[in-house]
Amino acid sequence: MDKSLIKLKVEERTIDESAKPLLERTLEEGIETAWDRLEKQQPQCGFGQLGLCCNRCSMGPCRIDPFEKDGPKRGVCGADADLIVARNLLDDLVTGAAAHSDHGREVVETLLMTAEGKSQGYEILDKEKLYTVAKEIGITTEGRNDTDIAKDIALSFLEEYGTIKNSIDLSKRAPEPTQDKWAKAGILPRSVDREIVEAMHRIHMGVGADYANILLHGLRASLSDGWGGSMMATEVSDILFGTPEIKESWVNLGTLKEDMVNIVLHGHNPVLSEMVVKAVKEQEMVDLAKQKGAKGINLVGMCCTGNELLMRRGIPIAGNLLNQELALATGAVDVMIIDYQCIFPSITQVASCFHTKIVSTSEKSKVPGAVHMEFHPETAYDTAKNIVKLAIETYEQRNPDRVKIPAKPVKMMAGFSVEAIKKALGGTFQPLIDAIANGSIKGAVGMVGCNNPKIKQDYGHVTLGKELIKRNILVVETGCAAIASGKAGLLLPEAADLAGDGLKSVCHALGIPPVLHMGSCVDCSRILVLAAELAKALNVGIDQLPLAGAAPEWYSQKAVSIASYFVASGVYTVLGLPPKIFGSKNVIDLLTSGLNDVVGATYAVEPGPVAAADLIEKHIDSKRKDLGI
Amino acid sequence: MKNVFIDLEKCIGCRHCEVACAIEHSSGKELFSMYFEVPRPQPRISVKLGVDLMTFPNKCQHCDPAPCMEVCPVNAIFRDVKTDTVQVQEERCISCGMCAMVCPYGAIQYQVRPNLPNEVAYKCDSCISRLENGKEPACVEACVTNALVFGEYNEIIAEKQRGISLNLTREIQGYKEEEMPENIKAFRALQRKVAQLGPLPSSQNKINVNEKIKGASKRWISH
Repeated sequence: MDKSLIKLKVEERTIDESAKPLLERTLEEGIETAWDRLEKQQPQCGFGQLGLCCNRCSMGPCRIDPFEKDGPKRGVCGADADLIVARNLLDDLVTGAAAHSDHGREVVETLLMTAEGKSQGYEILDKEKLYTVAKEIGITTEGRNDTDIAKDIALSFLEEYGTIKNSIDLSKRAPEPTQDKWAKAGILPRSVDREIVEAMHRIHMGVGADYANILLHGLRASLSDGWGGSMMATEVSDILFGTPEIKESWVNLGTLKEDMVNIVLHGHNPVLSEMVVKAVKEQEMVDLAKQKGAKGINLVGMCCTGNELLMRRGIPIAGNLLNQELALATGAVDVMIIDYQCIFPSITQVASCFHTKIVSTSEKSKVPGAVHMEFHPETAYDTAKNIVKLAIETYEQRNPDRVKIPAKPVKMMAGFSVEAIKKALGGTFQPLIDAIANGSIKGAVGMVGCNNPKIKQDYGHVTLGKELIKRNILVVETGCAAIASGKAGLLLPEAADLAGDGLKSVCHALGIPPVLHMGSCVDCSRILVLAAELAKALNVGIDQLPLAGAAPEWYSQKAVSIASYFVASGVYTVLGLPPKIFGSKNVIDLLTSGLNDVVGATYAVEPGPVAAADLIEKHIDSKRKDLGI
Repeated sequence: MKNVFIDLEKCIGCRHCEVACAIEHSSGKELFSMYFEVPRPQPRISVKLGVDLMTFPNKCQHCDPAPCMEVCPVNAIFRDVKTDTVQVQEERCISCGMCAMVCPYGAIQYQVRPNLPNEVAYKCDSCISRLENGKEPACVEACVTNALVFGEYNEIIAEKQRGISLNLTREIQGYKEEEMPENIKAFRALQRKVAQLGPLPSSQNKINVNEKIKGASKRWISH
């Protein structure tokens, strides 16, 4: 391919400067990436994109003619466009809810094993949170030791997955007016697994034909994720590994080091990675690395495992979803450790162009071509050390001529847990509430979600983020969105200069960036807690606050669940890519307007970042007006 | 003149026509057995991405006069009078490439066929055996949205004209009736925006790298 064309192609694909030279390399050397696969997938089927393809049973597959007049209007079973779209959306939503919640369960199980003295290398690092959570869910703390309390929390949380008490403890964190709305709509989440199982039941043929009834259950299932599975993942990770505090670190592919053993921690669950962080500090490992000619061991994160480690340990982060294959294309990664979620099945193929080894660690997530070193809490630390040893040995096989590390990393600030934000505000949310009331901060937006190669990498996040802070809207972020902002320099206090005067002065006074990194994608639950705190302080429901959500570059089913629990909790949410609902006008109408009467919020779809900012600002202005501020 | 009429607005890129075409030109004429045939049957219709995520099902239009037929030095391409279609006599083909070069639609490719030593020209044969049995081509039958319609061109166009007259006059009288459902229009508008924000071809002020790379540029359009 002609060099100038490669350059043009690269410019169309990403705005991440550290990604560009590596994208160039993949195009020059014919290493296939997600962007190439997107190209090869064109055209993508319109029935699927519109949500009009039903491939659930063997009377099908069926598809509905979206042009009304001519073709089939019902599947073989009789389902119309509304029903097929609703079933498909519910399926996507609970796939996401299941992913978050199953991740949560593993963290809780690790807490249980730790409390029982059966895990290896773990301890309870945040006692304050241990007591707070215990108190909240009615576990006695007085006169008891930490492990007993931890055991009770773990058992109580594990029970939440299948509880028969018909409510989820942590959902009581929502302000009362919000809970009242849920009760009225019949969407109070009853247990984590139950809502997911019931969803799978409901999308079976012949279980209801009312699209609205199906979608309402979707909201309930999403609440069991946001205020259940995800929130438990966050809280228990905090208990085990510490609640994040504000800290500085580095981001982009330049965090990989030419003269060190590079280990990339990729995926979502921090339980094994925390042990890897411990293991690389052992003198034995450092000595071994030096013995093999490396200056040391360099640990970097990728995606949300990366976010977890960044938030708590300040481990640098190499990038978000679309950076995973490019990190391998540096030729400098010795081992990439994967747990699960958002790991491209193709990474072993990219790795095979270099000396790199992919190490899979979850029984759930095996990848052909990877070395499988299975993680269990009982042997976690040994496994971590063995993987680090493997990385050091693999380093020896690295070909220095093939190493291409692109750019200098960018500095960033992370660690903005709800607790850390409160601390930065001086121990109370009042200064933030005052700033919102006096208008120096107009409102806040939770910007979350992934990368999607259909949109130039990070362009959606960064453009919308800049546009919002310019309008004095504080942005809080998780997941790939936060990593995008980090790469673009928005997670630094200096970025406040790009903000409007009001937000700028607040950021300067507190020494914080205008965009706050709140964690991984399960940590969207932190955004819910923050919203609940603000609502309680003002004695209103979440839906009355000047808040919004945004997912400009989303791809995953988890994002569908997050957007849904944002909306169900009362947060207006703008999606940057159309979800698979456009085959049904009724479903669109319900989701983009009808839900207002049910939960006080709706979804919107707007790919253009500036237009999305306009929608959000308008929404925030109207909420401010209603509140009389 | 009877032919396949393509209603571009109704193509949603499902590629069902491609699958149906390959099945029709397989020896078992069945999806599952088709995958085991060697060489695997190839579709003679091709749905490719245009700008703004729109798609176009492209196939031989059975031109008259047909440029391919006129340039073929060995008379391997002929017009079947009964069905008024352009056909390839594979055994005569010398793989010279002339027909493919002059085809205004790029609808001719080369393929290994059972019992022939060379790669021969293959293109849409308008499912001639189906036509002879009074059926429409497989791609048309497979098209769920009726983006592909088989019939007398003048009749199809007359139908289209009637629709246009009705719509225009309705509009003048203030009763605008949209041909396209509202939700699909909204979806297409969003796709236009998505294309503008990423690497997929967009109609809006962007250099289209893929077009340049593949050389599928203006010279084809000038025909």
